[in-house]
Amino acid sequence: MRLILTTALTTALIMLSLLAVAAAELSADQIVERANQAAYYAGQDGRAEVHMTIRDAQGGTRQRAFTILRLNTGDGDQKFYVYFTEPADVRKMAYLVWKNVGGEDDRWLWLPALNLNKRIAPGDKRTSFVGSDFFYEDVSGRGLEEDGHELVETTDRHFLLKHTPKNPSAVEFAWFQTWIDRQTFLPMRAEYYDAGGNRYREVEALKVETVQGYPTVTVSEARDLRAGSSTRNAFSNVSYEIGLQEQIFTERFLRRPPREVSR
Amino acid sequence: MNRLTLTSFSLRHPWLVVLLTLLASIVFLLQFPKVNFDNDPENMLDKNEHVRLFHHEVKEKYALYDFVIVGIVNEDHPDGIFNVDTLGRIDRLTRQLLYLYRTDQGEPAIRAVADAGSRDQILDLRPQGSWQRLLNTAFNHDPNRLFDENGQSVIIGQELIAPSVVDNLKQAKLGALKLEYLMEEPPRTRDEALVIRDDAMGNPLYAGTLVAEDEKAICLYIPIVDKTYSYTVANLVRHLTRDWPVADQVHITGLPVAEDTFGIEMLVQMATSAPLAGLAIFLLLFFFFRKLTLIIAPMVVAVVSVICTMGLLIGLGFDVHIMSSMIAIFLMPIAVADSVHILSEFYDTYPRFRDRAETLRHVIGHLFRPMLFTSLTTMAGFASLATTPIPPVQVFGLHVAFGVGLAWLLSITLIPAYVMLAVPDRRLASLTATATADAPGGALDHFLTRVGAFSTRRYRPILLAVCLLVATAVYGISQIKVNDNPVKWFMPSHEIRIADEILNRHFGGTYTAYLTLEATRPGQCNCVEKAEILAAETEARFGSLYPEATVRFLEEIAELRQRYGTVSAADAHRAFVALITVAEEIDEENLTSWQNLADAVNYLDPEGLDLARLEAELGSSEGIRPADRQSLLAQLGDRRATGLDLIDAALEVTDRYTASSFTDFVYEMEAEMTAPLFKQPQMLRYLAGLQAALAAEPVVGKSSSVVDALRKANFELNFLAPPAGLGDAELAAYRERNRSFFAVPESAAAAGQVYVQLEGMKKKDSLFHMVTRDYQEANLWVQLTSGDNQDMEQVVGLVESYLAENPPPTPLKAEWAGLTYLNVVWQDKMVRGMIGSLAGSFVVVLIMMSLLFRSPLYGVFAMIPLSVTITLIYGIIGLVGKDYDMPVAVLSALTLGLSVDFAIHFLQRARELQREFGSWPEAALRMFREPALAISRNAIIIAVGFTPLLLAPLVPYRTVGFFLATIMAVSWLATLFILPTLLTVFQKAAFGERRPHETSSDPSH
Repeated sequence: MRLILTTALTTALIMLSLLAVAAAELSADQIVERANQAAYYAGQDGRAEVHMTIRDAQGGTRQRAFTILRLNTGDGDQKFYVYFTEPADVRKMAYLVWKNVGGEDDRWLWLPALNLNKRIAPGDKRTSFVGSDFFYEDVSGRGLEEDGHELVETTDRHFLLKHTPKNPSAVEFAWFQTWIDRQTFLPMRAEYYDAGGNRYREVEALKVETVQGYPTVTVSEARDLRAGSSTRNAFSNVSYEIGLQEQIFTERFLRRPPREVSR
Repeated sequence: MNRLTLTSFSLRHPWLVVLLTLLASIVFLLQFPKVNFDNDPENMLDKNEHVRLFHHEVKEKYALYDFVIVGIVNEDHPDGIFNVDTLGRIDRLTRQLLYLYRTDQGEPAIRAVADAGSRDQILDLRPQGSWQRLLNTAFNHDPNRLFDENGQSVIIGQELIAPSVVDNLKQAKLGALKLEYLMEEPPRTRDEALVIRDDAMGNPLYAGTLVAEDEKAICLYIPIVDKTYSYTVANLVRHLTRDWPVADQVHITGLPVAEDTFGIEMLVQMATSAPLAGLAIFLLLFFFFRKLTLIIAPMVVAVVSVICTMGLLIGLGFDVHIMSSMIAIFLMPIAVADSVHILSEFYDTYPRFRDRAETLRHVIGHLFRPMLFTSLTTMAGFASLATTPIPPVQVFGLHVAFGVGLAWLLSITLIPAYVMLAVPDRRLASLTATATADAPGGALDHFLTRVGAFSTRRYRPILLAVCLLVATAVYGISQIKVNDNPVKWFMPSHEIRIADEILNRHFGGTYTAYLTLEATRPGQCNCVEKAEILAAETEARFGSLYPEATVRFLEEIAELRQRYGTVSAADAHRAFVALITVAEEIDEENLTSWQNLADAVNYLDPEGLDLARLEAELGSSEGIRPADRQSLLAQLGDRRATGLDLIDAALEVTDRYTASSFTDFVYEMEAEMTAPLFKQPQMLRYLAGLQAALAAEPVVGKSSSVVDALRKANFELNFLAPPAGLGDAELAAYRERNRSFFAVPESAAAAGQVYVQLEGMKKKDSLFHMVTRDYQEANLWVQLTSGDNQDMEQVVGLVESYLAENPPPTPLKAEWAGLTYLNVVWQDKMVRGMIGSLAGSFVVVLIMMSLLFRSPLYGVFAMIPLSVTITLIYGIIGLVGKDYDMPVAVLSALTLGLSVDFAIHFLQRARELQREFGSWPEAALRMFREPALAISRNAIIIAVGFTPLLLAPLVPYRTVGFFLATIMAVSWLATLFILPTLLTVFQKAAFGERRPHETSSDPSH
């Protein structure tokens, strides 16, 4: 899902071909910066409908459907609105997130059946997003300054990078590595390793489509190898540059959802 | 082939017999290295036993693991366990457990994660003492075995339950809700420590389980991939906490640890008890016979029988279980019995023949039948265990039966061979001159003569006494409590018993059972009923507001009811989809305009907004009926409000119209009516009621369910902090309001939305230990402060009657799982199985006796002493309040097999002597010389042979030792008193003689 939120500049296609040429001389930090732009900042704003399937170790599945709106508000900051449409009992449930680069995020929650609007205090972003195998951090992106990056290998198609946390006690992984597409700069695969050197988590982009000129991941999957569970997100009706107003990313619009989520 | 064929063969070829015995011993001894130990009481049940399969199904379904429970208790610090230092240590221990890994050299090590400068800590958990190391080598036990075959830690880190890694929901600044771990960071100040205390105490899932309600203890629950690792994990924890101060007591318990520890100590027991029993028997034989060369033979018979039996067991691929670990101890005294009879007679008759072979032929010829039959009955007694439904008991019974048969064979072959080879005639020359303690004229002999005199003459008081004893014993039997608890297999002074006692005093209980609940008929729709509810609700909500639309909607419901009336829940979903279409059409006509109006208001820029501008802005919006716009403006009247206030006032008006949306109504009804069982408020409240009923039961320390998680989350979500400066009354009102949310949410949708928050906690999926992911089935954790079967049974009974007396809103199927419950099941099977096998072997032995004596009367006689013995023994067990547990159950079969031996020898000799002398009173006098002496020697040897068990630190071994000694004593006395009495009373029937006193001393006849 993170990839709808994907941003870049309007001249993405032209830029991309230029980048590909220049790629050979890019440093690890530069690659990570480009990947972050490609994955989380495409367009000024974006919208997508997400169908989420959570599959447990026994093969049972749970479905969720939600619409997600994103607006870039400058200096890397972003605002997200997540509105649930399925299943029936969580219909109209909504989350609001203000991502503040370099600081703590602001988060609100709307539970219609409880007629309740609650602010969520900043905390660990590496926690499950609505019970799935994706983390909140997968939705909004991980701060680039939180890890040290190192380019391990450049293959025909990918840059392979290794990321080591600067504060290891704040995260559950010891390190992770990502495969970043040399053409699109989209991270295609991420693998997380624990202190014992075991791979325990994977996130993978299974399908990439170009929407309005932006390469966009339209099917992605996160896998928890320890629990044996996985979550697949399928994105549909992706659109960019739809002219979202900043005022809809407010608590008022939690109770009465903006029209952009339902049509 | 007559009775002496085998003996004659071995007298002719003694070397061959010895060689064959040696060869057999070597072959069986070679099986020993293949040994595999099994100390899992779960294996008391067949692998395909329903409850066992169900237990594993539940474990898998709810991702449950066996736990090593580590309790840390601090009773010294004024803040109890919640002091900065102890919490810091607990946090460090938690991280050490999480960061355990295997080095490339295969050593366990702890990864340094927190500070980059520190080095990994390599551990060596092997014991320092050389004796312990030797035992570990012998039993193939590696304390560093903390990893599975892939090198992964056996501790399931993500499921560890400890303050540093369990979720906590709490209020933060600005009325925000904070999601974090209970002890996100170890506290640095007392205040921080007390915050952790208050958070833990405020969470119903933690108080009484993770933290003690008296604030003096914290428990870590360490999940392990398999319970066979629990001993090594417990050892690891001991190692990691060895430098902790005394005030922070570390106690380790839990059924897996108890079971695994028992297994390890059982091996030590095997290595010490069996040799000790051998030694005791040896010393006793020496005391009786004073001829070392003579008594080596029975010892060899015993050792060879044990080696061959264990070799057979291992060779056949059976695991050595707690039962089979006792084989050596059971077999040793039984195996020497026949040899003792032979030697005893040999010793007494040698002076008559002055020739070893001749004496042996005479002795064995004469003892052949009783020995064969005593062996056969003992075998029958043990083999009857094969009819119990408990695999380890079957294996035990059949192998002991094999061993007894082998011992018999060795007695009539190896003993003669040995005497021929190793005991030269000259050594026996002095035999007559030797006087021993129990030789004729000795103390034992003297005692026996008096017993004989008494029992043949005073039969009336004896019979009366026996009847009284039996009557008392029958009452005692009615008092027997069937009960077992693997933790109580340890002595009260054992660290596991101490840990168990202390932790169950502080916590809601370390014994967990799982009560699973699901609908008896899942997927049932009740569509007709639902359609009726839906129709009634539609009428009530929309009837007066939109009469025409209501009629149309009701028609649709009626039609769907026709179509989907009697089908499954999946079709109910389709019915709702069909309804949504109609609802949307209705809303399109009635509400679109109002919805557009509300939207237009919502998007207005509040900056400088007043009524005039509002009117102007709305005028230009599309899709709004002028009448609706006018209606809104009319209702706003001449309101002075501006900006956001004006917007809110306008939205309040539009809300009244948009609220009557058919679409929202259908979704709402769908959420409620198709809600899975454990999202339905009614069912959740029912579960809460069941938990309240359980809480009233003293042995239940605690029960936890999704309801606890749900109520806590609902409370925290709805919590409103009172603003500063309020009076007491207002503060109380706030508290009251907040407390009212510590409840099951009002609707299924509300429950569903709170659940989504719980699903997204830091510790992923911890909710799903208590409910399935589809919320159709629930798992109630019941914690007991006692692992006694009868306590567990009581809880089972309580739940059963609660469900019967309080019918749940949807019929429920309740089923139990968990180790505590598994123990109840196999225990129950054990008792029933033992009763069956006892009855079966009783009949078999009775038939054998009747055949042996070619007389049903003698058959019955032979059964009487043992029947009295069994009745008395179980009567004593009932009267003294000793629990009927596994070892006690096994004893019944043993008693039968052993105590009939005395009766066989006694009756056989009595008959011979009566024939010889033609008179029972005359024969009776002789009976209480050598024959009674031989029986007594045997009884004493077997009884004493089991006494080393009394020194064992494990309770089942002590029980067996004590009761076997008692059984021997009782059946010995029963034989010596009851049989002469019976033979006297039934003289005519038994020997065709008249009773001498019949006419003279009994005037009533």
